Amino acid sequence: MIYLDNAATTYPKPRPVIDAVTRALRVYGANPGRSGYSMSIATSEEVYRCRTAAAGFFNAPGPECVAFTVNCTNAVNYVLKGLLKPGDHAVVSSLEHNAVMRPLDALREKGVTFTKAEVFPGDNDSTVDSFRKAINGRTKLIICTHASNVWGIRLPVERIAALAHEYGIRMAVDCAQSAGVLPIDINGSGIDYLCAAGHKGLYGPMGTGMLIAPDGGSLATVIEGGTGTQSALSSQPVTMPDRMESGTQNVPGIAGLRAGIEFVKARGIKNINRHEMEIIRYMYDEMSKMKYIRLYTRQPQPEYYVPVLSFNVGSIPSETAGRLFAEKGIAVRAGLHCAPEAHRFMGTQENGAVRVAPSVFTGIGEAKQFLFALGRIARDNH
Amino acid sequence: MGKYFAVGSITNALKGRDILSGKGIHSYIERTPQGMPGGGCGYSIYVPGDFQTAEKVLDSAGLTGGRKEGNRR
Repeated sequence: MIYLDNAATTYPKPRPVIDAVTRALRVYGANPGRSGYSMSIATSEEVYRCRTAAAGFFNAPGPECVAFTVNCTNAVNYVLKGLLKPGDHAVVSSLEHNAVMRPLDALREKGVTFTKAEVFPGDNDSTVDSFRKAINGRTKLIICTHASNVWGIRLPVERIAALAHEYGIRMAVDCAQSAGVLPIDINGSGIDYLCAAGHKGLYGPMGTGMLIAPDGGSLATVIEGGTGTQSALSSQPVTMPDRMESGTQNVPGIAGLRAGIEFVKARGIKNINRHEMEIIRYMYDEMSKMKYIRLYTRQPQPEYYVPVLSFNVGSIPSETAGRLFAEKGIAVRAGLHCAPEAHRFMGTQENGAVRVAPSVFTGIGEAKQFLFALGRIARDNH
Repeated sequence: MGKYFAVGSITNALKGRDILSGKGIHSYIERTPQGMPGGGCGYSIYVPGDFQTAEKVLDSAGLTGGRKEGNRR
């Protein structure tokens, strides 16, 4: 199989990640943060090592700012539902994933409003201006994707964060497609809430994510429960990370996530980005010469795109194209990608599109095989 | 005889231990003993040696805001 669905989750995982998960199942079998015997403390240390690794990777003030979640969507929910109250207003971009839009839709029932700021690919000044115009007197939060999971379009989140703070507004970023592919510096960027998937660009197992927030303790909680401390209190602890981590943690997943972060650090984000962008740009260039292939963006430039590319094949429905690729042993994702807003942005909300995304393990040979298959599918169906 | 510093969460305890270690102060992480003022269901850093310096270090790291001290029994 040629796997090009890395925007959904990266595959394969690096060997150290697999080894870390296996080792955790064998060695770190106690519940962390609950007891004082050696295996419990050792398991707690393993979890803490991942917190420290993540805090260093994203330049957060300290490991206590890192709360583990089951995925990026959960982290986004914690921010939206922990911060926004009836009467509040939020600003989002016109490219958001349902991880942002569905909780906001649910919050709308409770009197929260939001405005979509138009994105101008390749024109960050206009994008920032669009966000500025969307702010009103009740805006409490700007939340946006760092990069579109459909079109790869990057948003200038550092500039948007500066804009938010100019108005005393908090800034949250959905880094599902950017963590591990773009450098992210919480201290330097002004991001108040960073929501990340552990299983995409960080090469951790599925079932891992993070909410990294220097002031996460001020969020109202969405889930309350046992945290291993202050059990006599009927209320949730106020300090991070415990406040956001009720119940037993996914220790094997967290161990794997740490190995993934170390893998990305060792390879270097710049090297990973360069490699993947070369693959995407090669694909784009070849596809732009092919008959029947519909591309929707300009040639991806690293300053404006991450390595994600979506297209259509003539009149073939995108899901049919996806099936045809699968029959040829090529894994892609077709349809709306849980991001109908991104498709409305590009006018593809009826048919969706076919998406490809390489990983650090994707070679140029696989890209060529994909292009060959694409050519066959296009010719055979027109 | 050393002292316990109750710091609440295991994350605080590990962070505190690492900070102390960086200052050359050896410490252990233990469950906060019951019977300690404000103790029970949380973690403490036990410092067998120079606990006065340890206290200052942990204070400046913001880890002893709700400090409850106790002696090992």
